[in-house]
Amino acid sequence: MTLSIPARQGDTINLARVWRDAPAFTGMAVLTSLALVPLFAAMALDVRVFQGDNVWLKPVKFHLALGIYLFSLAFFARYLPRTMINGRAWRVYAAVVCFAILAELVAIGGAASLGIASHFNSSTPTMVVVYALMGVGAVTLTSASLVMGVGIWRNRTTMLAPALHLSIALGLVLTFVLTMIVAGYLSSNNGHFVGVPTTGAVVPILGWSREVGDLRAAHFVATHALHGLPLIGWLAVRFMAPRRAVLTVWAGAALYAGLVLALFNQALSGLPVIG
Amino acid sequence: MTPDAFFQFSGPIAMTGWLALVLSPLIPRASQILAGIIVPVILSIAYTALILAHWADAPGGFGSLADVMALFADPPIALAGWVHYLAFDLLVGAWIARTARREGIAHLFILPFLALTFLFGPAGFLGFMALRATFSMGRQTAKDIA
Repeated sequence: MTLSIPARQGDTINLARVWRDAPAFTGMAVLTSLALVPLFAAMALDVRVFQGDNVWLKPVKFHLALGIYLFSLAFFARYLPRTMINGRAWRVYAAVVCFAILAELVAIGGAASLGIASHFNSSTPTMVVVYALMGVGAVTLTSASLVMGVGIWRNRTTMLAPALHLSIALGLVLTFVLTMIVAGYLSSNNGHFVGVPTTGAVVPILGWSREVGDLRAAHFVATHALHGLPLIGWLAVRFMAPRRAVLTVWAGAALYAGLVLALFNQALSGLPVIG
Repeated sequence: MTPDAFFQFSGPIAMTGWLALVLSPLIPRASQILAGIIVPVILSIAYTALILAHWADAPGGFGSLADVMALFADPPIALAGWVHYLAFDLLVGAWIARTARREGIAHLFILPFLALTFLFGPAGFLGFMALRATFSMGRQTAKDIA
């Protein structure tokens, strides 16, 4: 499947290339997405509720999010140096990342089937160990964006416009850095809320609280830096002269990081994203 | 032999087949003969004998969920049902190992699905079908690009 995206004038982007550039990430993305079929079926059958939502909503969200993450990494892999993606070290690392994602999804799905919390669960010694291991898995899977960001940053043969090249590398690095800050704090908190919700009012689809601070909003925006920055870079390349476009990407990155920190600060103050 | 004593035997017999499948890269032919033929045949003989001896006296039937539940309340018939699971789940496991080998899917990838088939039969089959679809999608696309 080829899609016309004017990264450069007259260029097209071949989506099918993900299978060649990152077979492990692509295969894992497909499996993660296919698993949504039985998960949605379970959600339709299961009447159990956890913290106000169907027990299967959280696994569904994580399968969607990690599927998108894997597919995004697989897409950006085309901008890594050939020598890197053909090397043994990278293939082993990609397998470790896929395993971390699989373990994360099994832990979240398993906890859902038992109707218990997967994150923040310190009710039994086993769950304390599971939660600690999930932390290791989460850092491992997020590290893929840092490794790829640095790899793309140093690759001088991507043929991309400089601003777009910079925005992809910066976006991946920022995903790691900002997610580590926000999610790192979030994991040491007792839950994703700062405050105690009473009415249960939430933002549609995203599910963040409209009453109290919800750290998941900052996590969401932080982790989507790998989409947000390239979007800024792509627009900058389309509408600006090259030098200006590069400056715009740097400014965009600073603003993006500022936005995440503002959302983080807002949640820490116990304030909702939208009142 | 009482149904309980029979039950004690059935597990280890089936486990022999599953163990052979886990080790199948080392013993491809022997594992298929054991898990695909010998163990299922032994279990099927036991199943057939149980049905021949106890079907006529069994309560319930297949007409409704309540009938099926009444049927499985009878120990020899419940045992037959259990042996049926063991035999057919193992056959599916053997088919998974055979199919993965033929299609060049590395053994490491099928281990979780063999475990899932052993524990929750159809869930493991479903997972393996998804894995197969993923592999064939990757191969097809790689061929199209080349």
